[in-house]
Amino acid sequence: MTALGRRAPALTGALSWLTSPKTLEGLRLQAFLVPIGIVFAVLFAIPLAQSLYFSVTDFNGYSLDVNFVGLENYRKIFTDPSMLAGLGFTLLYAIGTTVIVTVLAIPLAVLLNKRFFGRNVVRAVFFFPAIPSIAILGLVWGFILSPLGSGAINWLLDAVGGFGPVPWLSDGTLAQLSVIVVAVWSSTGWHAILYLAYLQSIPGDYYEAARVDGASPRQSFFRITLPLLAPAITVSSLLLMTGGLKVYDLPYTLTKGGPGYATFTITQSIIQSGIAQAKFGQASALAVVFMLVVGAIVAVQLVLSRRLEDRVS
Amino acid sequence: MSLRRMSLPRTKSLLTSSVAVLAAAALTLTGCGSGSGDGGGKTKLSFFSWEDEATMKPLIEAFEKKNPSIDVEFSHAPPVAEYIAALQTRLVSGTGADVFVIAAENKTNLVQGGFVKDLTGKPFMANMSKFNTETWSVDGKAYGMSISSWSAGILYNKDLLTKAGVTEFPAKWDDFMALCQKLKSAGITPYMESVTGMPLTVAALVGHENARQGGDVDAQIFAGQKKFGDLWNGPLTTYNQLFTSGVMSKDVVGLKGEQVVDEFANGRVAMIAAGPWDVTTLREKAPKMNMVFAGVPTPDGKPFWGGAASPGWAINAKTEHEKEAEAFLTFLGSKEGVTLFNQKTAAMTTTSDVTPVIDKVLEPNLQALKDGNFYLPQVAWPRVQDALNTEAVAQLQLMVQGQAKPADVAAALDNRLAQG
Amino acid sequence: MRKQRSSPLLSLLMILAAAVVGVPFYYIVVNTFKTQAETSSSPLAPPTSLYLDNYIRVFENTPILQSFLNTLYVTVASIVIMLVIGSMAAYAMLLRHTLVNRVIAVLLVIAFLVPGQATLIPVYRILVELELVDTLEGLVFLYAAGSIFCYFLIQGYLRSLPISIFEAARIDGAGPWQIYWRIVLPLIRPILITVGVFQTMWIWNDFITPNVFISSPDKQTLVLQVYKAVGQYSVDWPAFMTLSVIVLIPVVIFFVAMQRHIVNGLLQGSVKG
Repeated sequence: MTALGRRAPALTGALSWLTSPKTLEGLRLQAFLVPIGIVFAVLFAIPLAQSLYFSVTDFNGYSLDVNFVGLENYRKIFTDPSMLAGLGFTLLYAIGTTVIVTVLAIPLAVLLNKRFFGRNVVRAVFFFPAIPSIAILGLVWGFILSPLGSGAINWLLDAVGGFGPVPWLSDGTLAQLSVIVVAVWSSTGWHAILYLAYLQSIPGDYYEAARVDGASPRQSFFRITLPLLAPAITVSSLLLMTGGLKVYDLPYTLTKGGPGYATFTITQSIIQSGIAQAKFGQASALAVVFMLVVGAIVAVQLVLSRRLEDRVS
Repeated sequence: MSLRRMSLPRTKSLLTSSVAVLAAAALTLTGCGSGSGDGGGKTKLSFFSWEDEATMKPLIEAFEKKNPSIDVEFSHAPPVAEYIAALQTRLVSGTGADVFVIAAENKTNLVQGGFVKDLTGKPFMANMSKFNTETWSVDGKAYGMSISSWSAGILYNKDLLTKAGVTEFPAKWDDFMALCQKLKSAGITPYMESVTGMPLTVAALVGHENARQGGDVDAQIFAGQKKFGDLWNGPLTTYNQLFTSGVMSKDVVGLKGEQVVDEFANGRVAMIAAGPWDVTTLREKAPKMNMVFAGVPTPDGKPFWGGAASPGWAINAKTEHEKEAEAFLTFLGSKEGVTLFNQKTAAMTTTSDVTPVIDKVLEPNLQALKDGNFYLPQVAWPRVQDALNTEAVAQLQLMVQGQAKPADVAAALDNRLAQG
Repeated sequence: MRKQRSSPLLSLLMILAAAVVGVPFYYIVVNTFKTQAETSSSPLAPPTSLYLDNYIRVFENTPILQSFLNTLYVTVASIVIMLVIGSMAAYAMLLRHTLVNRVIAVLLVIAFLVPGQATLIPVYRILVELELVDTLEGLVFLYAAGSIFCYFLIQGYLRSLPISIFEAARIDGAGPWQIYWRIVLPLIRPILITVGVFQTMWIWNDFITPNVFISSPDKQTLVLQVYKAVGQYSVDWPAFMTLSVIVLIPVVIFFVAMQRHIVNGLLQGSVKG
């Protein structure tokens, strides 16, 4: 056999592979990923590469005439005390909101999926808190949670049970709690609506079959609804977790990170050092480290929830 | 499987109707765009303001009337963080406006980065007060034109004080504490000030100590000859008496400025720390209130105020319209411009040829400006202002809650400064 | 499954819960109809008389129509683009489990984690180079970043559907584009609407992006007008709240109209077993 003879089948094989309907379909499918690839490259990858570069320079956010400083910025962020202060509350907030919102949103979605008078309006009202600007929410909640006797909740407590004013935003622990409560208020409805959409993909026949078998509504919730919502839980909890770890504006408008450093977050630290204090290099380093850490957390979370999904399905 | 029967038409109609709306909107837009056209041969001068449009519009209109060949393109971002971020992003990319605002938060970076023109000796700077110009100068060169200043002190409800039997407002701190106790025992909440930012009471007390020590203590601290404790320990111990004696509630660390003003407007507190901007709001919220301004009482009986020169207007070093930018600043600092600005904002202008018209209640504030009895740490610090301010506020909150001592606050500031 | 019966008890319960959740909105809306003095003395009380000065003042001082059209244009264009990009990617990712695609999926999740503030300056410089700074199209371009969010939610939804649907269509000889257009898009309508509504809220209310990227007065979005009430030393709260309410009305109408389309049991009768 000649060399050519040996190669020919491989060549024609490759050719026929390339032109086979299956490959062509695969390529055409792959083309569906081109637009998101462009978005990813232009709006994420390239800017991120630049940030990575800034993180090893003394860039101050003003002058592009920068010097290479090696890992100096990375060393600095690990020795900055306000950074560590931000870490604790950021984690508490992210985990707290993820758990509480998930536990509240799923039953709420099931209820909103039922038929009742005024359902459309009720759905809308639950969704609303996700809409308005954070500045106005800060104002309104500041008034509601005011530590003074004239604050809305304190006034109510006094009128109902004669409780003295509670220092909602002026005590460290209570301020942390208050921020989380407002976050739960603002995102539970929207996540319930998200679950509601996923509920639509569960064929109604399943419930009918379960009912015929004599299952109680409680049983069908735990045996049908919950397992089939597994992909939804993955998506929703990931959104909550990433959003929680990146949180900035809600604590900032409510408490500016106080009292002391009680509600200080990592993103607030990035913004303050990057913009207000013109240490863009250091802020970039912080952002890079932060992304790696969050990436690790999310990877673990994804693996766990995929396993869970596999088990239930 | 009967997929084909699924509700395809509805999706389609949804999509098509969205696209139709989009197209309609786009059409309307282009229609508007061509209608507004940019008038032949006019020079566009871009102006990035943090005063809102309602304030600046009359000034811009008057200026354009006088200079028909210039078209001022106004844009705005709310102060402070959002404004600084937007300006910084644009400057580093070469799209900064021709005229913008220089403030304590960006002064050092603007000057070091060479983004602002040196205005020293320009004819329009002649009218400016020496103090205002010095605030926006670095190494003797002026980079900003500032036409007004502000001073803040204690605003009291005269009727409430009279009710408690007080006829004269004290100048000495000890007498002030006694007054607070008197009000408290009469069942009136004596004094309130939000501690979510730098408290004006602290600014005034530190300013008084600074003046007592010769007026340049900050320069010595930043040169490494003194520590923050040398300037801050005394005033902070004085201020802390408000909390250790229970005269002021610890809750002020969780109160916003607006909430404090509301308490005052409704007669639920006798005195608050306030600035000129609160007067306008209070006139609307409590039109009948009999309110009076006074300086913050100090240990030696010489009242002091919190205050600073207002941010200045600066010219972009890379502007292609230098002549127009200078013409604009000339107008803003002229008699006509300053008068208009004063009318719109009730600001205490400090230029040499205009006497500002101000609310009667603000006369003590104006006197304080003339006497130079005012101070604001963030403006007095030559650099790392934001980091120091953030640290100071967080530490003060801890002190108010009894978790830190005055000396701890000062030590934390020394640490911050060392980090740069 | 036949129609459930409407339960009055559930209705009562949900309306009460909604009322509690809605209190902050009541606060905002009711105070736009009051004078500053009234707001300050009794913030939660209904207005004593019909006071419209706040609205009159806002309409007189703000170019609302132009800003409204700008916002509408940016929002509609961005939503259509990001839904198309996101759903296309989710669909391709579902049907092609190659190694490359798995890597892409991981990269897209990472993109999700980038704090926007950290890449502000690089992104701005890219837009300067593309000559898209200070244009509405530039905003649309930036908001295309939201397609990753859309992708993420849609792929989760697709995974919860029985894959046999697509395979059946494939056997029927339909090409990828046909399947996408005629099967996938109708099937994922509930999530498209949910995500679309949510992203609409985001873009409609976004302040940070236009604040940095838009400077011309005639290209301002509605939210930029709202923030003009924030002054150097204090905030004009009546104007701020009134403008906020005006900005919110169109999105509330939009939401109420759209959520009817998240209908019950879309798949009923179409997928047996």
